[in-house]
Amino acid sequence: MPGVLELQGLSRSFGAIHALDDLSFTVPASKVVGFLGPNGAGKTTTMRAIFGLLDLSAGAVTWNGLPVDQAIRRRFGYMPEERGLYPGMLVGEQVEYLGRLHDMSAAAAFAAATTWLERLGIADRTRSKVETLSHGNQQRVQLAGALAHSPEMLILDEPLAGLDPLGIDAIGGVLRDLASSGTCVLFSSHQLDQVEDLCDEVIIIDRGHLVIAGTVDELATSGSSRLVVRVDEDRDGNWARALPGVTVSEVTGGEARLVLGDEMDPQLVLRAAMRAGTVSEFVVERRRLSEVFREAVV
Amino acid sequence: MKYAVIGIVVALVAIRVWLRRRRRPRASVPSPLWLGPLTSDIAMISAREIRERLRGRVLRIGTVIILGIIAAAIVIPVLDKSTSTPEHVGFVGHVTRLQSQLIAASASEAGASYRMIPEASKGEARSKLQSGQLDLALVNGELLMVQTAISPTDSSTNALFVQALARNLGVARAIAAAGISRSQASAVLSAKPLTVIALAKGSAKSPVHSVSIFGLVIVFVMLTQYNTWILMGVMEEKSSRVVEVLLAAVRPMQLLAGKVLGIGMVAFAQATLILGFALLLGNAVGSSFLHGTAPATLAATFLWLVLGYAFYCWVYAAAGSTVERQDQVQSLAFPLSIPIIFGYVTAITTVSTGSASGLFKVLAYLPPTAPFAMPVLVGFGEVTWWEFAASAIVSVASTVLVARLASDIYRRAILQTGQRVRLRELVSRGSR
Repeated sequence: MPGVLELQGLSRSFGAIHALDDLSFTVPASKVVGFLGPNGAGKTTTMRAIFGLLDLSAGAVTWNGLPVDQAIRRRFGYMPEERGLYPGMLVGEQVEYLGRLHDMSAAAAFAAATTWLERLGIADRTRSKVETLSHGNQQRVQLAGALAHSPEMLILDEPLAGLDPLGIDAIGGVLRDLASSGTCVLFSSHQLDQVEDLCDEVIIIDRGHLVIAGTVDELATSGSSRLVVRVDEDRDGNWARALPGVTVSEVTGGEARLVLGDEMDPQLVLRAAMRAGTVSEFVVERRRLSEVFREAVV
Repeated sequence: MKYAVIGIVVALVAIRVWLRRRRRPRASVPSPLWLGPLTSDIAMISAREIRERLRGRVLRIGTVIILGIIAAAIVIPVLDKSTSTPEHVGFVGHVTRLQSQLIAASASEAGASYRMIPEASKGEARSKLQSGQLDLALVNGELLMVQTAISPTDSSTNALFVQALARNLGVARAIAAAGISRSQASAVLSAKPLTVIALAKGSAKSPVHSVSIFGLVIVFVMLTQYNTWILMGVMEEKSSRVVEVLLAAVRPMQLLAGKVLGIGMVAFAQATLILGFALLLGNAVGSSFLHGTAPATLAATFLWLVLGYAFYCWVYAAAGSTVERQDQVQSLAFPLSIPIIFGYVTAITTVSTGSASGLFKVLAYLPPTAPFAMPVLVGFGEVTWWEFAASAIVSVASTVLVARLASDIYRRAILQTGQRVRLRELVSRGSR
């Protein structure tokens, strides 16, 4: 059943360090949500708090308005940052075991393990010990373990770390499919380009509190407008320097990158460029997520 | 004997078949072992522990080795007794009637049978001794010859026989030299020993002595082995970080209880197999080691193995949750094992001396040492049923307290990674 995860005023300190500082956000159903922040921002602590792995000094975690208890957590899937598998256990049995700990019957756990290992491309390693697998394949086993019981909420800490492009595509595809079928997906990553391609929404935290949240489109189009303009007769971009409310951030290869003030209309800039010469390029540029991230956490 | 062998073969085949079934891909996973009806988390966690432990070679090979040692310890003495070969006694010259009587008396004293073989000369007797055809030779009733010098500490049948014969023939020669009549000599040599009255009960020597030693070794080996498994198992779950995944679904106490229960069941299955094997085999071959208080000692050993494991498993689990590296485990293992080693050594020493000191009786009421001390007291017949029960109750009550403390430590320490968690930190912190 699709649901909404809500974090309300989470706080937790480790000595003098405020790992979580009145942190609140919502993860909606049927969305892939990127959970971003610099190292030490509190992402892992937040995820552990959702699973009750540490005690909070304040705040609450709810699922569809109900406090998250052990019964609800069993309907969640979790993949921690530091992967957790029994090295000497067989791959298939490992996934089955994790499924069974989430209230699956033996037959259902076996079927789910078979399905997910096949879908993630490691069905031929079902009878292998986990420790004999490569890092990337162990990551897939870990994901299969988190998915075996068809979780309503999937929380993944750095699921893309250390994967090759094919692995990223495989896991990304799985996450998109899960979200489209109603699963709530929250995952952290430092690979911002992948997050931008994969996510519907993004939450950025820093020093334990929320900095910015929204859809990828909202974040990309928010803030100052950015233009890339090439005027063949003025390759140094001098024509733009005199315009009020326009800042030339960079000029390379005849392309001038402009940041417009809030009141400045791009159409006025286009007319000024045409007056300066032949306009061979005029692009309204979206902000990359990496730029949003840098601006948010500086 | 036949039934014991059949029973062992059936058990081994059953284990083998079960392991093969586990390896075969299947449409549905069978319920874990005999815990089928129990689908609780603890049962599932226990079943995983049992499966992984049974799959390991250490357990299977170790069990086979132990069974082999036990079989040898039970069967060899019986075979030795029933197939002992007679001493081949060569003699040169005439053997008097008195000497014949003394040879028979000496053989009886040494517990040996013998056969007299006439030799033509001293040289022939010497060559047969060298070739091993004779064990000793009596030359003209004056001289005994053996191939290899006999040490005073040698307790073999041959040595005892030679020593007794040399002594008795020497006495006979001295009597003859004293000039007393044959009837007087015969009366002296067949003198009845004085009656000895003991003021205290004698020490419990074999077979109870052997059973006590056997039980102590089993308890020591199993407590050491299985508690080390717990220590390592908890450490490995922490170091591999799988514990974080598990605790996202189950409570720390469930995880801990499942682990100690699973490993405990393997331990008791192995102990049952070993003790059952010893009983069956001993009974089948007619071994004398099951007489007297030996059965009670064995039963007490098994019960105290259970109680000892129940007490120590929590201690080792809590300790394992504070470390995440092999070297840290090694630095913990020795101090943890000191009470076990102390109890074992004290108990072995007590069994050897044959009497229990006051301190040893106190140890029988302390949970860390009671698994070793109490079965020994049972073997000595020096404990009443209510003393036994009182010690068991103290142990169970202590186990409950230790389990609560251990689970609290485990809950706080198991997710703390990066460096070894100090006990002081756990006591001072109120939460994770």
